Amino acid sequence: MSTIKQLYKEIEAIIGPDYITDKDFMKAAYSRNVDPAFPDRWADLIVRPSTTEEVSQIIKTANKYKIPIVPRGGGADLVGGSVSEGGILIDLTRMNHILEINDQDFYCVVECGITWGALVSNLHEKGLTTGVLGPGSGFSATIGGGLSNSTAGFGSTKYGVVPDICLGVEVVLPDPQGTIIRTGAAANKYAEPFCRYGVAPDFTGLFMGDVGTMGIKTKAYLKLFPETPFKAQKYFVLHKNDYNKVSELMYRLRKEVRDGLHDVLVVPLITAQLLASMVENKPKKRIRLKGPIFSILLEAVDKDILKKYVERVDDIMKDDARVFEWQEIDLDATLSKDWRFNLKYAYNYFNKYISIAPPKISCTTCHKVPINKIQQVAEISSNFDIINKDGFPKGSISLFATVIFLLPNGNCVIVGGFNADNVDEQREASMKMWHKKLRMQVKYGGVHYWLGEAISQSIVEADAYTPDFIRFFKNVKKSVDPNFLLSPKKFHMYSFDDDMADHIINEEEE
Amino acid sequence: MQSPDMQERYRHLKKIGPSLLQCINCGDCRDATDYSSDPQRWGVCVVKDHTPGFEPYFGRGKMQIIRSVIQNKLTFSKEMADVIFQCPTCNSCSEVCAYDIDNALIYEALRAELIDAGYGLETHIPMNQAVIDLLNPYQRDNAQKQNWIEELDFHVKDAAEEKADILYFVGCTAALTPEIKSVAIQTANVLHQLNIDFSLFGKQEICCGSVSKRTGNLKAFDTVATKNYGLFKRSGIQKIITSCAGCYRTLKVDYKDYLEDLNIEVLHTIEFLDKYLKEKGIELKNLGIKTTYHDPCHTGRNGGSPPLYEQPRRLLSQISNFVEMKTIKENAKCCGAGGGVKKGFPELALEIAKTRVKEAEETGAEYLVSMCPFCFRNLDDGIESSNSQIKMVDLIELISLALLR
Repeated sequence: MSTIKQLYKEIEAIIGPDYITDKDFMKAAYSRNVDPAFPDRWADLIVRPSTTEEVSQIIKTANKYKIPIVPRGGGADLVGGSVSEGGILIDLTRMNHILEINDQDFYCVVECGITWGALVSNLHEKGLTTGVLGPGSGFSATIGGGLSNSTAGFGSTKYGVVPDICLGVEVVLPDPQGTIIRTGAAANKYAEPFCRYGVAPDFTGLFMGDVGTMGIKTKAYLKLFPETPFKAQKYFVLHKNDYNKVSELMYRLRKEVRDGLHDVLVVPLITAQLLASMVENKPKKRIRLKGPIFSILLEAVDKDILKKYVERVDDIMKDDARVFEWQEIDLDATLSKDWRFNLKYAYNYFNKYISIAPPKISCTTCHKVPINKIQQVAEISSNFDIINKDGFPKGSISLFATVIFLLPNGNCVIVGGFNADNVDEQREASMKMWHKKLRMQVKYGGVHYWLGEAISQSIVEADAYTPDFIRFFKNVKKSVDPNFLLSPKKFHMYSFDDDMADHIINEEEE
Repeated sequence: MQSPDMQERYRHLKKIGPSLLQCINCGDCRDATDYSSDPQRWGVCVVKDHTPGFEPYFGRGKMQIIRSVIQNKLTFSKEMADVIFQCPTCNSCSEVCAYDIDNALIYEALRAELIDAGYGLETHIPMNQAVIDLLNPYQRDNAQKQNWIEELDFHVKDAAEEKADILYFVGCTAALTPEIKSVAIQTANVLHQLNIDFSLFGKQEICCGSVSKRTGNLKAFDTVATKNYGLFKRSGIQKIITSCAGCYRTLKVDYKDYLEDLNIEVLHTIEFLDKYLKEKGIELKNLGIKTTYHDPCHTGRNGGSPPLYEQPRRLLSQISNFVEMKTIKENAKCCGAGGGVKKGFPELALEIAKTRVKEAEETGAEYLVSMCPFCFRNLDDGIESSNSQIKMVDLIELISLALLR
């Protein structure tokens, strides 16, 4: 009997015959995420465990046969994150229960396979929220995926990135024992999981943004906030296409409006023009936009305070921008006075800005930069596109940013990339150019999340990690995953003996 | 990109056009829960929760399978077919799709390909053969469609011989299922009470082919659609009303090309009565009962535009203390019977129905109302199986009671 067949039998005994498969059509269905730049990859086995203990048993079995494992949440990433070439793909979406909502101490305990949309909707029934609502793919992305990718999302301007609301996790380590640990306050077996720091070193951080390389998160303890009752939406368009002005306005908004800002999102001029060209119901008179569009969502616990916030924002924007309504380019859009918060708004930009023209390949990334560097990185990015114009697939559209998000303190997320036709001939060229562009971003100091394969590898290729950092990283990985089974290939790490430095790419030699 | 091979081999899928490869794999069709939408959406796919739930059980997995097949990376198989046919084609996945992909249409084409490849579902074969041979999917003598008419105490015109303003197209389920024949009888009673000039085909009524279309048997569908076209043309009818949601969707949406040149208007009975009663100023009596309403997929998401969401609610609000379920209208959970699931996977259909019945019970209603005989059958089975006290009723039966004449 082959190793895989033997493995199948043993895992089947753990989780039952219904929740394991090695059928070809099942493997095909799991062969990619929102990542058409990658080739389809088929796992050997796909399993759907329902408990932490089952996950632990599966990991023990995988260790016994030295078979690689890749965890998968909502399968909504576009950077080659949760797809497995061979090995075991663990679909965690059966573990989707809310175990506790503590509305007195403002935390909740959830299984990591629950979607952001489901959690946020259930919390809303109790007047609570997680603040940051997870990634733009929150209708399908899971809590576990958001933590594994240190994602930002709607609400991040005020509440930070997803790990900022995490109080700890329950994780199954990929070691031969299938060790289960809890972090944060929950590391104290007598304590409720109500806070993150204390008890021990903060091992929670080890599993944040790890792209599923350090352990399989099965439960998460998350901060909760009472929902803020009053919200207002404002849009402005700048008089000039000037990113220095964008930085300056972001700075002033952060400094002067502070907690009133729920979200500040900037749509670059080119993106707005593209969106305008694609709307179904266009106004007869075409508006000429001259600069980026600011979308500002404000919130307050009191109507009068909200009014003050609105007045302050109007004052900050008055000299450099005018009030804008999306109806100027799309007659079906809602006026800001009629605007009402909805999850589709929060989760819409994933589809709207990341895959502007499906079914094209979207080589999109999210990376953070300090707000005072926006103009600089815009220039570097534009120069890169000009210099490398022959390297992009034919017909490709490359955008420095499709959207820019303000985060807490002085940094922002730039979401941008390029697209190409979804055909094999363009796929390889796209991947090559994508990596090159990512290395450029890493080298100007961009800080990426949603690393998956494409980005984690590009960071290594750009020689961003020092030898000491790499040694430490490997040592930590070795302590949790001595057989090197969990999520291989990320960070160009293929074994403990492999030298990641071999993958550094010297751009001048290219 | 379609290879020449695909042009030849995948003719049903090819007809779909560019949207076949439009899916970006976002996965919103799995579970996009949204408290803030109006109406609220609590989950999407009813199948994944009652099956092993791997990707092919919901939209994204099916779309990826299609991509793999047409890229020659995957071939059809019996195991694949067994999963693809476990979908009631309720099109809830299409409702959440950011790119408006008509998933159910694509699944029907995929099923047609599976049948062509020899992987049709065994249990569907006699059903679809009966559609061709006997003109109904219940494998009964079509003459039995006359039986319920004999119970009427008034004469009804034979559509094949006498002209009338309206043809009442009964549908095979109400005409041939004893437990549901009251839907047909009460529809006829109401029309008669309102002095509406209507006719029936009776034993000559031909199945609309809904079950065949949903289960991918296009040969059976085309057979009855062509026969119906001839029948409608010969009888010179101008307006069809039907009390069956499946027939409604099929005649209105799937027969569109067939019926366009005949200029025939298709209405659901409830849609017709809602308008008629209002125009004539006829009031309905409040029956003093508490009701809730299940939206059939065939009059909502799949029923063309505009969907019939308000008509049944307007009538129910007049005749009862009407309360809504948690999931309604475009976000209503499917009963689980459609798409050949009731026939092919009765246990799955029952489990889905039980979940919907539980949702109905949570409203505190005494009656669960719908306007689809097929939903009626499945939800009634769900009520019985879960020992629920709620009573299943078709809206026409309540209207019949509430009609003040």
